[in-house]
Amino acid sequence: MSQMQALCDAIQTGNRNEAKRLTQEAIDAGLNPQDILDKGLVPGMYAIGEKFKRNEAFVPEMLIAARAMKEAMAILEPHLVKAGIQPKYRVVIGTVQGDLHDIGKNLVAMMWKGANFGVIDLGTNVPPDKFVAAAREHDAHIIGLSALLTTTMPAMKETVAKVRAAGLDKVKVMVGGAPITREFADEIGADGFAPDAATAVDVALRLVA
Amino acid sequence: MDRQYYLDLAARGVSFPIGTDLVLREHADHAQIVNDGRRLGQVIDEAARRYRTPLAFPLMDLMIEKADLLHLAGVHGVDPDTFHFDTPPDEKLMAKLESNLSSPPGVRLQANIDAIRYIAQETDLIPVGMCIGPFSLMTKLLADPITAVYIAGTGMKPEEDPEVRAVERTLQMALMVVLRSVRLQVDAGAHAVCIAEPAANKAYFSPNQLEAGSDIFERYAIAPNRRIRDLLRMRGADLIFHCCGELTDMMVQRFASLDPAILSLGSSRVLWEDARILPKNVVLYGNLPSKKFYSDEVITLEQVEQKAQELRQKMRQAGHPFILGSECDVLHVPGCEQTIRRKVEVISRGG
Repeated sequence: MSQMQALCDAIQTGNRNEAKRLTQEAIDAGLNPQDILDKGLVPGMYAIGEKFKRNEAFVPEMLIAARAMKEAMAILEPHLVKAGIQPKYRVVIGTVQGDLHDIGKNLVAMMWKGANFGVIDLGTNVPPDKFVAAAREHDAHIIGLSALLTTTMPAMKETVAKVRAAGLDKVKVMVGGAPITREFADEIGADGFAPDAATAVDVALRLVA
Repeated sequence: MDRQYYLDLAARGVSFPIGTDLVLREHADHAQIVNDGRRLGQVIDEAARRYRTPLAFPLMDLMIEKADLLHLAGVHGVDPDTFHFDTPPDEKLMAKLESNLSSPPGVRLQANIDAIRYIAQETDLIPVGMCIGPFSLMTKLLADPITAVYIAGTGMKPEEDPEVRAVERTLQMALMVVLRSVRLQVDAGAHAVCIAEPAANKAYFSPNQLEAGSDIFERYAIAPNRRIRDLLRMRGADLIFHCCGELTDMMVQRFASLDPAILSLGSSRVLWEDARILPKNVVLYGNLPSKKFYSDEVITLEQVEQKAQELRQKMRQAGHPFILGSECDVLHVPGCEQTIRRKVEVISRGG
C-alpha cells in the first residue's frame, strides 16, 4: 500500500494517530504539501462522505474521520502556507441566530476544508449582520447557513434577505440542516441546498464553477 | 396507573398533538408564565382541553434539567444554553452535585412542578411530567459528545481517555439530576412522566458499531433510563418514552424493553412496520411530521390530512394500540402560527 493510500485509509477510519504520523512522515520525506492534501487527506474525507451518502457510514464515523483530518491538517497547514498554497475559494459558515447546534455545521466546514475551501467559521447563534460583515471582510464566494430547529428557520430567511440587501451579488448562499428542504431553500431565495455534509461539497463546487 | 388506561385511550381513537408551546405563545407574557407554576398549569390545562386530550402534557423544555444540574453543581455565572464542560468534571464537583440533590429546585423547575400540582389538584386531567433523558442531557453538557461516545463504543475505558471519562461522569451527573426531577414531578402528582431522549439516535450511536457488537447503546442510552423506569414503577407512575431522532429497528426494540406505556417516535419511522416488532401493550404515539408544519411549501394541509388518514388506517390494519399525534412537541415558529395551527387541528379533529 502506498503512503498516500495509507493516509487516505487512516482518515477514512478516523485513526488520528496514524493520520498524524503519516502526514508528518510524508512532509519529512519531502512530498509536496498540495499532493499530501490532494492524494491523502482529501480522498479520505471524500471516501467517508460517499459512504455517508450511501448510508454505509453515519455521523459518528464522519466526525471521527473529520477529527483525524483536522489534526493532520494542523500539521500540514503551515507547510501549505509556506509553499504559498492558498485555497481557491472562501466560504463563511455559521449556525443562524437563535440556534446553538453545531454538529452539522462543523461537518460541512470540515468537508469544505477537505475540498480545499478556505473556511471562516463564525460558530453558532450568528446574527445576520455578522454573516454579511464576514462575507464582505473575507471576500467570500459562499455563505453557508445551518439550522437544526424549525423555530430558527425564519432567522435563515432573514439572513438571506440581509445578504441580498447588502448587495453582495457575487456571494452565493447555501443552506442546510435537519429541517431544511429544497422547497424551503427555494422559498427563501437561497442559491443552494445540501441535504448532508458530503453533498455540501458538490453543491459548493457547482455554485463557484 | 392501570396500563389498560392507555390501551383504552388508543382503542377510543383519541388523538392529540403535544401542543402546549403553541398555546403558551399565544399569551403575550409567555416568558413570565413559564416561571409561574399556577399560570403554567392553566396553560397546560388550556392546551389539553383545546386538543381534547385527558393527558395534560407540559412543555417539552429540555433545558430545565441542565440549568438545574449546573445550579446544583455550583457552576454559576454561565449561560446554561451554551455552557459545556471543557474537562471531565472532577470528583469534588460530582460530590457537590450529589450533596445538593435535596436542595430546592430552581425557578423554572419549581414552576414545572407547581404546574403539575395545579393539574393534579384543580383539574380532572391526568397530570403528565416531562423531563429530558439522561443521555440527551449528557450531550448538552459536552461540546463534542458524539466522537467520545464512538470512542467509548470501541471499548476505550474512562481511565484511558479523558473524553470517555467526561462522557461517563456527565452521564452519571445527568442521571442523578433526572432522577431528582422525576421524583419531584411524581411527588407533585404526575401519574406518568414523559422522558424525552431525542439524542439516543443514529447521529450519536453508529449503527455500524452496534451491528459489530458494541454494547454502547445499552450502556449509555438504555441502562440509565431503566433506572428511571424502575423509580417510576416503584412510585406507581408510568413511563412515556419519546425519541424523535432517526433510529434503527434495534434501537426501537431497546426502547420498548423499557416497557413504556406509550412510545412516541419521530416521523422517520414507519409506525405500522414498527408495530410488528413491538409488544402489544406498548401504545405507539405519533408521528405526523410536525417539524415541517411551519411551511406550506414543505408540507400542505392536504398532505397532513392524507398522512393522518394513512396512519390511522394502517395502524388499524396492524392491530396495534395507537394514538395519532405529532412527532415531537409542536413549537411556535414566529410568522407561521396560522399554518401550524391548521395542520395541528388535523390531529385533534379525530378520525
